Amino acid sequence: MSFATLQEFGDLGPEIKEVLIPTQALQQRVVELGRAISQDYAGKDPLLVGLLKGVVIFMADLVRAITIPVELDFLAVSKYSGQQSRTGSVRLEKDLSTSITGREVLFVVDMVDTGLSLNYLLRSLRTRQPASLEVCAMFNKPAHRLIELPLKYTGFDLDDRIVAGYGLAYQEKYRNLPFLALLSAQALHNHKAD
Amino acid sequence: MNSPEQRRPQFVHPAEEVFAKILDFYDLEWQYEPHTFPLEWDEQGQVVEAFAPDFYLPDQDLYIELTTLRPKLANFKNRRIRRMQELYPEVHIKLIKRREMRELMVKYGLYENAEQIQGTAAQSRNGAPGPSEEDE
Repeated sequence: MSFATLQEFGDLGPEIKEVLIPTQALQQRVVELGRAISQDYAGKDPLLVGLLKGVVIFMADLVRAITIPVELDFLAVSKYSGQQSRTGSVRLEKDLSTSITGREVLFVVDMVDTGLSLNYLLRSLRTRQPASLEVCAMFNKPAHRLIELPLKYTGFDLDDRIVAGYGLAYQEKYRNLPFLALLSAQALHNHKAD
Repeated sequence: MNSPEQRRPQFVHPAEEVFAKILDFYDLEWQYEPHTFPLEWDEQGQVVEAFAPDFYLPDQDLYIELTTLRPKLANFKNRRIRRMQELYPEVHIKLIKRREMRELMVKYGLYENAEQIQGTAAQSRNGAPGPSEEDE
């Protein structure tokens, strides 16, 4: 399968300032992560838990790069919207369909920046007593970190630019870009005007 | 722990209140300006300059200072934080810069709040300011 280039995105093209990480580099890194996970979890019957929606593209590529049997499950939680008034008001929008008690769990996320949401979710998952709980993040913004959390696997470290693509959205758009892009001022302006 | 159910502190800047609400959402304990650190003393030993970081996260043992000012105007905060790190190397403090605050707002869809933070969203590959942020 070959993915579209920036030029092939037509009208979307001007909204993308530049390709920050090209498709091939993303794919190569995912293969490396898949190899590492296959080695580390051999014989452990791991359960990969993905956080929707941003993880979908990465998860689909990652599991196909893993060469041992794995199980998949997904979580979805509400995001802060400025409307919530109660402390700890993260809402579970989709719970796991698999029990993780006693399982070797690898929590797969698209991006870790402040660590606030990941910290909350890891605390929640630990109450279900998995045998182990590690994190695999495709993108990491260490300069943004407020809560230090161990990431066992990391794809790419990013600086503090607003990026989109490879599952990451800006106002729910651009998830389908097969590369990681820096958005143009035009794209940011267009969305503000929505 | 501060929470909406308890008495809210009087925040100096609206961005601080937004930040506090985000911490509340993720059930993270925080304190607002709980400690003041002396930075300079006169010859009589009287404190002539002190610094109270905006937030303290007890679980992380981390102080957080927010700034929504352009970097040139935020230099005094940078200088205070550098001085604080010299005097209190055991204290962990993080400055959340204007750009990071704006990105945090964008992440949570708080576009109006993000727009209230001065400057445009222009950006470049290497992390350097975009063309419209040359004055940074």
